[in-house]
Amino acid sequence: MNASPAAGLLPATRNALALLLLAMADDEFVIGFSDSEWTGIAPILEEDVAMSSLAQDEIGHARALYELLAEVVADGRDADAIAYDRPPTGYYHARLLDHPRGDWAQTIARRYLYDTADAVRLEALAGSSFAPLAALVGKIRREERYHLMHVSTWLDRLALAGGESRRRLLDALERLGPDASTVLAPLPSETALLMAGIVAASAAEQEAGWRAAIGPTFERLGLPMPPPVSAPETARSSHSSAFERLHDEFTSVRRIDPAATW
Amino acid sequence: MTEPVAPDRLAAATEAPAAAKAVGSPGVLEPWEVFRQEKEGDPMRHGGSVMAPDAVLAVHYARELYGRRDESIRLWVVRRADVHQLEDPDLLQPPLDRSYRKPGGYVMRDKLGAAREQAGTTKPKANRG
Repeated sequence: MNASPAAGLLPATRNALALLLLAMADDEFVIGFSDSEWTGIAPILEEDVAMSSLAQDEIGHARALYELLAEVVADGRDADAIAYDRPPTGYYHARLLDHPRGDWAQTIARRYLYDTADAVRLEALAGSSFAPLAALVGKIRREERYHLMHVSTWLDRLALAGGESRRRLLDALERLGPDASTVLAPLPSETALLMAGIVAASAAEQEAGWRAAIGPTFERLGLPMPPPVSAPETARSSHSSAFERLHDEFTSVRRIDPAATW
Repeated sequence: MTEPVAPDRLAAATEAPAAAKAVGSPGVLEPWEVFRQEKEGDPMRHGGSVMAPDAVLAVHYARELYGRRDESIRLWVVRRADVHQLEDPDLLQPPLDRSYRKPGGYVMRDKLGAAREQAGTTKPKANRG
């Protein structure tokens, strides 16, 4: 087996990198699984295929990030073991993704908030000093471009349709808004990441960039901007009972026979 | 998805809630025809159709149904209502014998041979490519 691509990093930098990869991978994994619950019941057949395809893309991104994480930590666990063999409390996704998929408006609102925040996070990693991550981010961004196009066109439709569509969207934004920027809340290891040039912008800078990016859309559609995050220190811990149910579901096959080969 | 959808069934499937209707923009689904090209230089071939409320989502859905597995390098999406159709049998399948219009009855070999002799050329070799 090849040496870890992170072999040349200082231990503190390596740990910081591992935490960043875990946060990103868990985010993609959880939203991918959550949105895949629409398969078979989305509003129309074409959208069913589209949402399922987006969800599969996110699982694909999660897999690539878990694989990279497995190489960085090099503790013998593979991507599947990291993805599936943790208790719910061991996951490190943002609180925004603790919400259930809810109705269609909540799914669209969450995807919009998440995808726009993720785009800013990915931009800050595009020139990462950790070359394997920069290369992976380059590929992920090419797929996320379409995700943003698709969810933006849905946000417009729900916001501009008026009536029940708009009311449900506003309800969803009220529920999700306070947790929206948990995706960009600072990691405890942020300083090490910035010093090593792994990330180009601090969490605060990323959040400002995200607000500047979505501001014109929210203003055009007359939607309330997400408030500042509450309790940023627990942005990625103390998960909801909705997540515990999702975890129970997505680990159910793995638990039957963790050593099964596919 | 390639079958025409009866207007009444379509309306039932896309009925917007009364409240949304009141402000007047419920996206009504209609069929869009999708053409796809497999590689540069190939003709655009009809792939099938999607239901969508407008061109933007029609393109997204065409991408998902006819392009998400690297099977296309280009897609065209055309509103079915914008396709002009001709299926009149009097125009396309006339009843009288028209075989005299087809070139099958001509033997070209002798004429080509004479033309080559006159021009002093020989028959090109068969292409073994």
